[in-house]
Amino acid sequence: MIVVLLILHGLLAVALLGAITHQALAVLSTAPATNGRWTFINRFRSVDATAYATPIVVLFAVTTLGGALLYPQYRVDVRPALEDMQNVAANGVFEIKEHLAAIGLGLLPVYWLFWKKPPQGAEGVAARRYLTWLLAFFVWWNFIVGHVLNDIRGMVS
Amino acid sequence: MSGARLTIFSIMFGVFYMVSFYYDLALFRYYPEVSEFHLLRNDHLGVVILWYGWIVTSALASAAIAFAVPPNLAERLSPRWVWIIPTAVVIGMLIYERRWFV
Repeated sequence: MIVVLLILHGLLAVALLGAITHQALAVLSTAPATNGRWTFINRFRSVDATAYATPIVVLFAVTTLGGALLYPQYRVDVRPALEDMQNVAANGVFEIKEHLAAIGLGLLPVYWLFWKKPPQGAEGVAARRYLTWLLAFFVWWNFIVGHVLNDIRGMVS
Repeated sequence: MSGARLTIFSIMFGVFYMVSFYYDLALFRYYPEVSEFHLLRNDHLGVVILWYGWIVTSALASAAIAFAVPPNLAERLSPRWVWIIPTAVVIGMLIYERRWFV
């Protein structure tokens, strides 16, 4: 059961990573394809960024919930093993992962609000952009750390 | 909850989360080896998870602040604070968590 949940958590994280990366690149201030050529990056960021907001909120919340359900197994089996291996840095990056997940959860209401009812003016547009990049940083960190830790000490090892 | 209140909630959540973490203000504790939640510390129950408790503490505290701030004051808040304060919280957290890598 725990392995199924771990795989599901990983798959949801992949979907979240893709969605937030599309959106984070879409809000870059430079206009795409100004030279008339459409590169891969231009195409990648030429999406309706607003349409990603609700799926990102749902995916972030559900993925974090999955992580919360997996956490007891990590605390009982994985963390002591990492401590036995004296792999202090692995526990450190995981601690940062849990902080970012929590802070990200708290940011979801204003993130959703700023995408659905954007504040007026350049300051509001900039705030929405930085908020999106902040969440994208959280998602990338958590995704990479989750994978690295699973490689060091997977649930079935 | 109105838009201004949601904004206050999100801004304050990260601040309260870090305060809860730093001062160990988890509303409750979970002991995974016995699958039990407790309000108080029970060292004989094995390893403890405080993360759930920190999140609930932060959610309740930031919701209280969001409702306590007068609406006209909340609506005057510049949108820049929604990313500046969480970014400052993250930087502060990363500086504190350097302890794992030295």
